[in-house]
Amino acid sequence: MSMIRIEHLRKEYPNATPLEDVCVEINKGDVISVIGPSGTGKSTLLRCLNRLEDPTSGKIFVDGEEITDPKCKMNLVRRKMGMVFQSFNLFDNLTVVENIMSAPVHLLKMPKQQAHEEALTLLDRVGLRDKAENFPSELSGGQKQRVAIARAIAMKPEILLFDEPTSALDPTMVGEVLSVIRSLAEEGMTMMIVTHEMKFARDVSNRVFYMDDGGIYEDGTPEQIFEHPEKERTRRFIKRLKTLEFEIADAEPDYPALLRALEQFGKSAMLSAQALRRTILVFEEIVMQGVLPKLRETQNGFPIRVSIEHSDADGSIAVSAVYGGARFDPLTDGDSLSATIAKKLAKRTDFAFDGENRIIAVI
Amino acid sequence: MNIEQKKDGKALVLALAGRLDTVTAPELEAALNDALAGVEELTFDFEKLDYISSAGLRVLLSAQKTMNRQGSMKVIHANEMILEIFEVTGFADILTVE
Repeated sequence: MSMIRIEHLRKEYPNATPLEDVCVEINKGDVISVIGPSGTGKSTLLRCLNRLEDPTSGKIFVDGEEITDPKCKMNLVRRKMGMVFQSFNLFDNLTVVENIMSAPVHLLKMPKQQAHEEALTLLDRVGLRDKAENFPSELSGGQKQRVAIARAIAMKPEILLFDEPTSALDPTMVGEVLSVIRSLAEEGMTMMIVTHEMKFARDVSNRVFYMDDGGIYEDGTPEQIFEHPEKERTRRFIKRLKTLEFEIADAEPDYPALLRALEQFGKSAMLSAQALRRTILVFEEIVMQGVLPKLRETQNGFPIRVSIEHSDADGSIAVSAVYGGARFDPLTDGDSLSATIAKKLAKRTDFAFDGENRIIAVI
Repeated sequence: MNIEQKKDGKALVLALAGRLDTVTAPELEAALNDALAGVEELTFDFEKLDYISSAGLRVLLSAQKTMNRQGSMKVIHANEMILEIFEVTGFADILTVE
């Protein structure tokens, strides 16, 4: 069942438009990790959802009610939607238990005694009952964030929004916060979590939004997004690819300039000297000694589009080339000495012809 | 690539430095065309050679064929990467590598 429906959401700032046209539905019980490069509107999406930001245009419905309608009572909507911020946002002058009681007492008019008891129960859930009477300044970052989560669920929200909940934490404290979020997911809480913790996103979510290019660029299961991303930018982000792309436009390329570009790429990708030499050699054997002489001979098939990709995730380097002309696989139809070197240095090679020739060698 | 030639009677030593690749292999080929006449003992010193590709191997193969008729040829001081390329291409069996 759809709990939140977003229709053509757009958010413009004077110098940027992080959300151009977002359309998506969020179902009850969904645990959605929102991932993507910086500046792609992940936090903006969350902040538009609970109207901390006013969308420029578009509509958002929560439980069928349009919260982008100016007549909508936002206080009632925000009760359904808890938010946990990167910077905790606790009240420093209140004790831990008072921080958690505050909203139920003031907004829900819950009796103080009941709010106190429920706050202690929530502190139990996040493993901090013994800190009930402490002030936030006496807690570690991880403990503060666990209190912030307890405070958010004290309002019994239907959905919880987390905006990079572990980004401000010392790495040693990330685990304790993620484990609380994980337990909420197991209890069936509907959640959207903007996060850079990829392993967590993969383990906990049933859906992952990869945000880029002005919206939700790819929406899929963790398996799809992390193992078989369908779209190019998702793939590059997930595999943490550093990429060098260039074109060889004609039969007489400036090889020393190409070499300089490859060496510069090797430095920026922090390749070892051996890995860089192998990359250059595979490129030279496939493209310079294989494809180029063939296209030169037939005077057809230019440009050759070359891409070198290094994955930080698994250390692999992929050398690929796309070119026109008749079917020509340099590893089977080209010079055998060049083919031998390229095949011996590569862990995997693949060739396809679909109107264009595509060859890839993974080192 | 830099090519340094040292001739002592019928012995010629070619010391290569840098890269022997698509661009520089023709330079070596031209140097050999000029220098091999009358040579009976050819040595390639690869101490300062960083890189070799198939383009360089083809020139070595051509030199080996010439020297099979005229005398002998050997490669000395090749680095690990070059030795690996000799190995995977079978050149380790064709050339005399010391």
